[in-house]
Amino acid sequence: MVKALKINKDSEQAVIDLLKLLLEDNRIKGVLTLKKINKKGDVAYTLITRPDELDDAVPFYPLMPINAGKLLSRFTLKGKTREPIIAVVKPCELRGFIELVKRNQGNLENLFFISSTCGGVYPIKMAVDGVVKNNLSRYWDAVKKNENAADLRPACKGCEEFIPYTADMTVDLIGKNDLDKQCVILLNTKNGEQLVRNIKLGEFIEGELDKEKLDKLRVKREKEKKKIFDEINAKINGIDGLIDIFGRCIGCHGCMRVCPICYCKLCEFESPDSEYTPSNYELELKKRGGLRVPPGILYYQLGRLTHVSISCVGCGSCEDVCPVNIPLTSIFKKVGESVQELFNYIPGRNLEEDIPLITFEKEEFAEIEE
Amino acid sequence: MSKNEEKKLRKKAAILSAKNGIREGIIDFLKKSMDRNIFDAVLIPMRVPADDSFTYVLIRDKNLLKNAFPLPPVMSIQGGKAVSSITRLGKSNIKIAAVMRPCEIRATIELTKLGQTNLENITLIGIDCPGVLPLSDFLNNPEEGMRLFDDAVSRWDDRIMRPVCQMCDKSSMIVGDLHIGFLDAEKDSFFIISNSQKGSDVIDKLSITPQADISSWQTKVEKISEKKHKKREETFRELKSKIDGLDNLLDTFSQCISCHNCMKVCPVCYCRLCYFDSDKVKHPPEDYLERAKTLGSIRFLPDTLLFQIGRMIHMSLSCVSCGSCEDACPMSIPVAQIFSMVADETQSMFNYVSGRNLEEPLPLTTYKEDELHEMEDTHG
Repeated sequence: MVKALKINKDSEQAVIDLLKLLLEDNRIKGVLTLKKINKKGDVAYTLITRPDELDDAVPFYPLMPINAGKLLSRFTLKGKTREPIIAVVKPCELRGFIELVKRNQGNLENLFFISSTCGGVYPIKMAVDGVVKNNLSRYWDAVKKNENAADLRPACKGCEEFIPYTADMTVDLIGKNDLDKQCVILLNTKNGEQLVRNIKLGEFIEGELDKEKLDKLRVKREKEKKKIFDEINAKINGIDGLIDIFGRCIGCHGCMRVCPICYCKLCEFESPDSEYTPSNYELELKKRGGLRVPPGILYYQLGRLTHVSISCVGCGSCEDVCPVNIPLTSIFKKVGESVQELFNYIPGRNLEEDIPLITFEKEEFAEIEE
Repeated sequence: MSKNEEKKLRKKAAILSAKNGIREGIIDFLKKSMDRNIFDAVLIPMRVPADDSFTYVLIRDKNLLKNAFPLPPVMSIQGGKAVSSITRLGKSNIKIAAVMRPCEIRATIELTKLGQTNLENITLIGIDCPGVLPLSDFLNNPEEGMRLFDDAVSRWDDRIMRPVCQMCDKSSMIVGDLHIGFLDAEKDSFFIISNSQKGSDVIDKLSITPQADISSWQTKVEKISEKKHKKREETFRELKSKIDGLDNLLDTFSQCISCHNCMKVCPVCYCRLCYFDSDKVKHPPEDYLERAKTLGSIRFLPDTLLFQIGRMIHMSLSCVSCGSCEDACPMSIPVAQIFSMVADETQSMFNYVSGRNLEEPLPLTTYKEDELHEMEDTHG
């Protein structure tokens, strides 16, 4: 049991009210959250400093236009924020940010996090078609019933990491039948507790997540994940399978650009190292008779996979943004989890856990030596 | 070369046989050219191994040519980017024929002016272009896409093609060293039209008689271009009303997620490091907060529109309206149509058509004492 704040209101509205109070009380100076940005109802992450701007906030909108971990990295890349900021993010976004902080690409100081048990999000293509808003009631019905909503992204359908690890506050949403009448915000950290101390909103109680209920969803998600992984496994069978699945890649590198883990200033695959002289082409041409131009599609994909898999949080951004519909997240998540399992590492779980590749243990992987 | 001689060269055209269809005819022509060592290799689209898309392949083994697709149903890679990939660091030592659509050749020419390709030993071969399907439409069902495309091409019907192709009035523009024209050609044949000394030499070396009369082809091309030009004006009228003014512009680009796919696939956006990816756009937290405080809130990341307009300013004089940006946009923003509209206006100010002619210098690299007085008047 932890301390919790219970507010008798619709959960999303309650969080908006809390954020407003925090801003008005000057306990925080800014909020990063999803917000409706125009009359059409398009939703984007927004940095809000004036309380009334929160009227159009939609902190739990089932969409991830950009992984907020990437945004928070941009926000604190040049140094810590001197003024306290609170961000409402999804569990995988928070994990993405923690991985970036481990890589010195962000600064946690003076940042507070609200997250929630996460019902997943819709593909961004549904936002293009403007149909997310028509699905909202169906989405929340599924969340209340402890189920996967239809048409979620594959990354979300099979996501077992739907409980945030390091959030200061966790809003209990999944399987909560009365989430439109009552909001329970668990205060997980001292910082979180302190931030809302004596706030004039709702009542303080003792609370905890219903683990048993959440385990039921986890079982469903595990099944979904297995299905997705099995499908990918059947498709990717050796180098030919890889060529088949990545063959349609147009080299836009959108996947890399939206990936919260791909933080390199200059990607190897966009550097002069990946440019070839005409003689390079001629030499290769002699060997093969024919050569794809520009070359290196598979090299890029496998290279990126090698670079990010230890920290891949399976957020789904890469697959969302791919203009040629390659099931990138399914592939990256599958490989990512296999690599992470080897090191008993869950990316973004804990800031104190070192990234496996920077640690050395004398006794490990003897089987590989053999 | 005198103007007259140049004109004569342009008119040089031959008829080639296409008994087994245009595709086979073109492949046959390329094969013969390789047999006679006119070219050592051919850069041409081919299916990818899974058969679900197309890519450029540089072919040296003649046997691979049978799998070539001179007119694939999609433009998954802009040909200008392919040529640049091979020759950016220097001239090719082998003779390469690059078979591409007119807008891809125009991009190649712009890239050459910008120092990003080297055309020595490259022969550019253009082709009458029926347009291409939106990439995502095709990928949803490649088999059906292929069928629909073939059917549309047989009737030269562009209604299922990308919006930017439907309004392309340069779809048969002769811009390469050679142009393959098959509109209104006699059945089972196509024209090969030379447009430069390089092109003319190819025809000579193949010992084909360059005495074809292409006036019927020209008439047909003019008719189609006229129709498409009308469509262009119509589309721009509609588009203008949608994006006019800052609020409409913001709305149009509101769903942009800053993935910069448009920039990455744009053949003209060649910068190694884009300003909008550079350190210049990375600010300390207090800067972002200050901006938020002025307005009450700011979208984060900010400056989505600044990127779009900045990119537009940087490349509109060279934009060839190829549509790659729109194909790659995961948010389906009509970015190619908007850029194409602005490009028409900026280019016409300088009486410039991007990629029309290698000899025409980029407007921003030339200086005329006497021009654009109307701007002076407006801004004193």
